Amino acid sequence: MDERISIDERRSADPGRASAAGASAAGNTAGGASAAAGITAAGITAAGITAAGVSSRRPGRLKAYARFLAAAFAANAKSALEYRVNFLVQFFGMVLNNAAFAAFWAVLIGRTGSVGGYGFSDVMFIWALVSSSFGLAHVLAGNVRSIGRIVMEGGLDVYLLQPKDAFVNLLASRTVVSAWGDLAYGFIVLALLPGTDFGRVLLFCALMAPGAVIFAATFAAAESLTFFLGNAQAVSSALAEFMLSFSLYPEGVFGKNLRWLFYSLIPSGFVAFVPLRIYRAVDWALVPALWGVAALYAALAKTLFNAGLRRYESGNRMDARV
Amino acid sequence: MRSLSSRLRCSYLAALTALRERAAYAGNFGASMLTYGLFVFIFSRVWAGAYAGDALIAGYSLDMAVWYFIVAEISAFGFGRFFWGLSRDVKSGQVAYLLARPYDFVGYHYAERLGGSLAEVGFIALEGLVAGLILVGPLPAALVGGGAAAGIGRAAVVVFSLFLAGTLQFYLQFALALSAFWLEENDALYWIYQKFALVVGTLIPIEFLPEAAARLSLWTPFPYLSYAPARLFVAFSWDEAARLIGGQLAWIAVGMALARGTFALGSRRVALNGG
Amino acid sequence: MAVIEADQLTKTFSLRTRPEGRFAALRGMIRPNIRAVEAVRGVSFQVEEGEVVAFLGPNGAGKSTTIKMLTGILAPSGGGARVLGLDPSRERRRLAWSIGSVFGQKSQLWFHLPPSDSFKLLGAIYEIEPKELARRTAALSERFALAELMDAPVRKLSLGQRIRCEIAASLLHKPRVLFLDEPTIGLDVVARKEIRALIAELNKEDGVTVFITSHDMGDIEKICKRAIIIHHGRVVIDESMKALKHRALSKKYLGVRYAGPVDLELPGLSPSKRTERSARYELDTAKHSLAEAVRALASRGELEDITVEDEPLEDVIAAIYASKSEDEAGAFGASRRVRGAGDA
Repeated sequence: MDERISIDERRSADPGRASAAGASAAGNTAGGASAAAGITAAGITAAGITAAGVSSRRPGRLKAYARFLAAAFAANAKSALEYRVNFLVQFFGMVLNNAAFAAFWAVLIGRTGSVGGYGFSDVMFIWALVSSSFGLAHVLAGNVRSIGRIVMEGGLDVYLLQPKDAFVNLLASRTVVSAWGDLAYGFIVLALLPGTDFGRVLLFCALMAPGAVIFAATFAAAESLTFFLGNAQAVSSALAEFMLSFSLYPEGVFGKNLRWLFYSLIPSGFVAFVPLRIYRAVDWALVPALWGVAALYAALAKTLFNAGLRRYESGNRMDARV
Repeated sequence: MRSLSSRLRCSYLAALTALRERAAYAGNFGASMLTYGLFVFIFSRVWAGAYAGDALIAGYSLDMAVWYFIVAEISAFGFGRFFWGLSRDVKSGQVAYLLARPYDFVGYHYAERLGGSLAEVGFIALEGLVAGLILVGPLPAALVGGGAAAGIGRAAVVVFSLFLAGTLQFYLQFALALSAFWLEENDALYWIYQKFALVVGTLIPIEFLPEAAARLSLWTPFPYLSYAPARLFVAFSWDEAARLIGGQLAWIAVGMALARGTFALGSRRVALNGG
Repeated sequence: MAVIEADQLTKTFSLRTRPEGRFAALRGMIRPNIRAVEAVRGVSFQVEEGEVVAFLGPNGAGKSTTIKMLTGILAPSGGGARVLGLDPSRERRRLAWSIGSVFGQKSQLWFHLPPSDSFKLLGAIYEIEPKELARRTAALSERFALAELMDAPVRKLSLGQRIRCEIAASLLHKPRVLFLDEPTIGLDVVARKEIRALIAELNKEDGVTVFITSHDMGDIEKICKRAIIIHHGRVVIDESMKALKHRALSKKYLGVRYAGPVDLELPGLSPSKRTERSARYELDTAKHSLAEAVRALASRGELEDITVEDEPLEDVIAAIYASKSEDEAGAFGASRRVRGAGDA
């Protein structure tokens, strides 16, 4: 099936009429005019099944999504610029907050040498990495913690009516202005850490990306509970708070009993603890494994969202908005 | 000025109303109780990791450090966010509107906000107590030793110190909120205040700070926000109680002057510029 | 060929209602009260390519639910639909390529950006080649008179201007069917006229099938050739606008108030309500000319206030039931069932 032909045909087709050829099995269009007779319901259904199988293996589709995401990002960036002043104030607040905790750690480690196996530069690295990962997640997928609110307000429909995956479309349609500051801040701290060279910066980026995916996936999954529970805001906020809090303190202090938690429901282990170990040892070999974990979290989040979407489409919710 | 008794009665009613309103939404406390609990848990582990075998750091044992954090955070959590409500009132013009009312503006708000916060503080304090008993064990010896009467007496002093801490928090944040009359984006001022309050006495006891910083901090109001009640809780001594409570009262006087001063200046500005 | 086919479309919602009284939340979890709400009960109709159809009904009649089933947002409980040959609930995304929608309050345009930026994004979403996109944007901009609006942030536009941009945006990908859900709600008289003209034009020029929902009939009668009226989840009327007008659209309510007492009788028309200085008339425009009545009333005395209202849709429907049961005495079981059904 040649996707490209059908796309071009669809676009150059007569206004208001899908071309007969374009309506062939490969196309994404609805049945054409006179060719309708030749298209059986079975044929359309079969095409529907193949087209609906979200396969990113077809180059046309991948390119289309890349263009879409780039356009969404451009719109987001432009939108964010509207809030320049606000952004600066928030950036300042964040720097202040991090400075306060840096002072705390400096004093404490000054007294004790290390805490839970972390030295001062370890703590600073964690702050930098978590800040940038969290920031990147909210820069690119700004709606990650608004899914619940959007669903409750009826704002999901707009995305359902567009021919792009609703999950991706929804997430990419907003950027959180303060997150740009978080993202930048991590790099600033990284620059100030001793021993930072180009290789380490590269490693930092390679660790930040899966971290961002895991953050986004975890929050999106919690927000998707809205489809099932009505208002999952409390769960989502609590989860975000827990995850951030645990990520910023040494793994060693939490003891063996909680270990499983940090590698499952509250994946601080994957966004902070493991990356620290990788960074200390400059061990690139483990990086693909981290990427694999990130992909797994993303897949789980999407599955949960899709399940929720099916429920949404059935229309049966607590306090349904008809 | 109106009689003291009528002013007191007004304050009492304001506090009671605010308290009832807050208590009615008990569900609201859930979020802050969760956050408080989370922090207490995490920091108890962090301190355990920091001590790792050492008996004392800066004169504090591990148990003392954890209890310290529990009590310090009660003040920080319970009394630390007056600013937002006050700021909203000032920015929305509500203040200008209320200026015409024939009562002591500052005093009324003090009663309302501090009174209203007591329910939440109560819940958090209870949660802290339970958490401490579970995570640490027995209450600090300096507090409870020597018989029930003495213990209750000391506990009362600690509670009084907490109350003074809340009072000081209110007046300082009130002055900060009123800066909105002159400064549009005054949130940053509050954040600076809050971070200093966090580092100087909430996250770490004063004794942990490097000597110069510790001595300097005693000239600021920050130790009297969280450090005072927390210190008295874990290492009570009548000498220190006198000193710390004296310091709190002194700073409250400063705070009240600041609050009333900014209020007077601010309301004059409103009268001139029309809100 | 039918582009929209609804075949006994049914939608029943199971609503978990909050229990009242003590331990309400707890009881709600253990044994929730489930109430079945039949929003749509067996709606059937067919729309041919190029038609402009008005889908009317009072609030709560099931219009939004039906349109959601036609666009794939909601899955039907029973019956089925086919839009452009596709099953909307199973092939929602495929269908999205060929349909456009403007749903009242929900916007496709980004609030803080100028419409031109949203158009670019929509171009990427619908995979329109950049050159084609530019051409299309220019054409729509000209036709909808959006030139000065395209570069102003959407938040600065008036509602009428925003709706024009929304409709233009929904046409970017040359959809074959356009679903408009209450597009003129909240608009003033002039803006409504503009929107109506636009819709009529795009149907004539591009052959786009238009499906408009509304609870305001007067608005729609000028552009729609056909009206489907839905009430309590069932189709009550499905006929040409002409026939419907003949049946029911002819009533107007005229209210007047004068500075002093006045003779309120008009030739062939008495007020249905009156005081010394004010009156209310029910005018059948098939029999009386509205313009003449207004002229006559204006000349009677010093007018302080005058109002002209359409007949509310509910009354039109009630009249239809009444006339139907006169026409088909007793045999029209459906209307009797509907009339007796009451609120779910």
